[in-house]
Amino acid sequence: MAIIETENLTKVYRTTRKDPGLRGSVKALFRPQIVDKLAVDRISFHVEPGEMVGYIGVNGAGKSTTIKMLTGILVPTSGQVRILGRDPHRQRVDNARQIGVVFGQRTQLWWDLALIESLNLIARIYEVDPARYKQLLDQFSETLELGELLRMPIRNMSLGQKMRAELAAALIHEPLVVYLDEPTIGLDLIVKERIREFIRQQNRDKGTTVILTTHDLGDIEELCQRVIIIDNGRLIYDGPITTIKARFGKYREITFETCQPVYQAIALPEGAHIVTNGYSPEDRKLVLRFDRTLTTASRVAHDVMDQVEVNDFSLTEPDLSSIVKQIYNGALLEETTS
Amino acid sequence: MARYLDLYGLFLVQRFKILMEYRVNFLIGASSTIILQVSSLLTIWVVMSQIPSLNGWSYYEVLLIYGLITLAKSINHMFADNLWTIGRQYIRTGSFDRFLVRPINPLFHLLADRFCHDGIGNFLVGSVLVITATRQLNIPWSLNNVLYLVLMVLSGGLIFIALNLITGTTAFWIMDAVPIMRVVFDFHLFAQYPLSIYPRAVGILLTWLIPYGLASFYPASYLTDRSLGWVAWGAPFVAIILLILAYQVWKFGLKYYAGTGS
Ligand SMILES: Nc1ncnc2c1ncn2[C@@H]1O[C@H](COP(=O)(O)OP(=O)(O)O)[C@@H](O)[C@H]1O
Ligand SMILES: [Mg+2]
Repeated sequence: MAIIETENLTKVYRTTRKDPGLRGSVKALFRPQIVDKLAVDRISFHVEPGEMVGYIGVNGAGKSTTIKMLTGILVPTSGQVRILGRDPHRQRVDNARQIGVVFGQRTQLWWDLALIESLNLIARIYEVDPARYKQLLDQFSETLELGELLRMPIRNMSLGQKMRAELAAALIHEPLVVYLDEPTIGLDLIVKERIREFIRQQNRDKGTTVILTTHDLGDIEELCQRVIIIDNGRLIYDGPITTIKARFGKYREITFETCQPVYQAIALPEGAHIVTNGYSPEDRKLVLRFDRTLTTASRVAHDVMDQVEVNDFSLTEPDLSSIVKQIYNGALLEETTS
Repeated sequence: MARYLDLYGLFLVQRFKILMEYRVNFLIGASSTIILQVSSLLTIWVVMSQIPSLNGWSYYEVLLIYGLITLAKSINHMFADNLWTIGRQYIRTGSFDRFLVRPINPLFHLLADRFCHDGIGNFLVGSVLVITATRQLNIPWSLNNVLYLVLMVLSGGLIFIALNLITGTTAFWIMDAVPIMRVVFDFHLFAQYPLSIYPRAVGILLTWLIPYGLASFYPASYLTDRSLGWVAWGAPFVAIILLILAYQVWKFGLKYYAGTGS
């Protein structure tokens, strides 16, 4: 049985807009201008126990809104959500016992309490068996390197330390489902790696189901076999990450900083084209995109440098928004149907 | 129930650990309310030394009224001060969500989250006033009277909490509920004096609509042998009704929040 089921899940935020000033306030009072924002638009998917799913999309795509409906914080405007067969909002308390939640940008812990005190309190709220709690505390301390953090109040922690603390707190009751909303935002690579390792371990040892939202593709590549991509509230892709990787890996961008503005036409290898070209002396950037299946970075770089004098150049990984754009242009459709 | 009492104890212990860490703040907070109280008491003293009796109420009788409302207020202050900051501290920052993903009652979590030590000062002042006044007035400390006082103070505290819960819940709609809360809360200032000195409408308001008077004026009347009938016993009943009503309002607010998430 699927552990998470959504069926046409939809959320519309209804807000009232107010013009500035007193006049605006008076107007808003008598004739409120209602603005509806469709944040999540008829999303359906199933997640099986033990899956780790990356839920990705650019800022404002509707990731957090979805998570809030899955966790029971928000009620869907229409559609269905079932977690372990329950309605997470109606059966809030039963659901809460089985889930763990981390919101990357805010703390679940008590600001002024030492981490160990926060954990003790949380263990009691979730009625974790004391002996089991001790065991888990040791385990978590090791994998998340909590050691000296246990005695430290949250307010004194760095971002990375805080996130490790959050994860420990969210998983100390061994939830069946864990929702991580942007857990690695703003963290350095070493901390990211440690956090990913911890999540992997929980998933491997306990079969914890993990939903991970992010706009960092690195997290997904490291942890998830399956990704769901949403854009503007719509589900635009649900499938294995391998397909995405093969596809978005197809296009790369190279940026050249040229010594002189480039006015002449440049002959390029097949599969490469110019994205932007700064013609002014101040902005001498030349950006090219090429299809990796047709040519190579060194080919493109070689050809360009043959014709133009270049100060510097760099190869950029495509970001999420360019992948989303490509999916819209049918890039994945060809792949999956062929 | 036992589980919640247990948890409240744990929250309280943690809270005191934090307070002990900021020992100076703790002392300032707890004593600042005492200083505030002393200045309002001076006002009463000045007024009462000009006129020996206020509408038939002697100085110590007025102190008894004042002490009773102070005690009731201190209960709200100690145990439910967090209601003031639902909007600013919890909804705006998004940390209200954490109450909703935990397997305990969100209102309990909100209240238990911060025992407010500043209320201890009020509690001490109120106790001193009531003890002094009853002694001076030769009100015997019979079991009946003591139980009556405890019941009235607790009921008064619950009336404060229920009213603040009703007005505080508006934070789900307007974010900053403090101005609205203040308007209703400040009516308790009338209940520091005999209601009989005000126009009739004020007395009715403070008895039936914003019934702080039930926790001060009426119990004091009862203890000083002014027969006012059954209203002297009204506080516990009104407190319970108000609490039930307030909890419905709160649940309505929660429902609204689940629709908007902000
Ligand atoms: N409480 C809210 N009220 C009104 N609009 C909101 C609210 N929360 C989010 N939105 C809007 O809904 C859309 C989706 O937001 P969100 O789910 O937070 O996206 P993401 O997490 O993917 O960045 C955005 O356009 C955002 O501005
Ligand atoms: Mg988000």
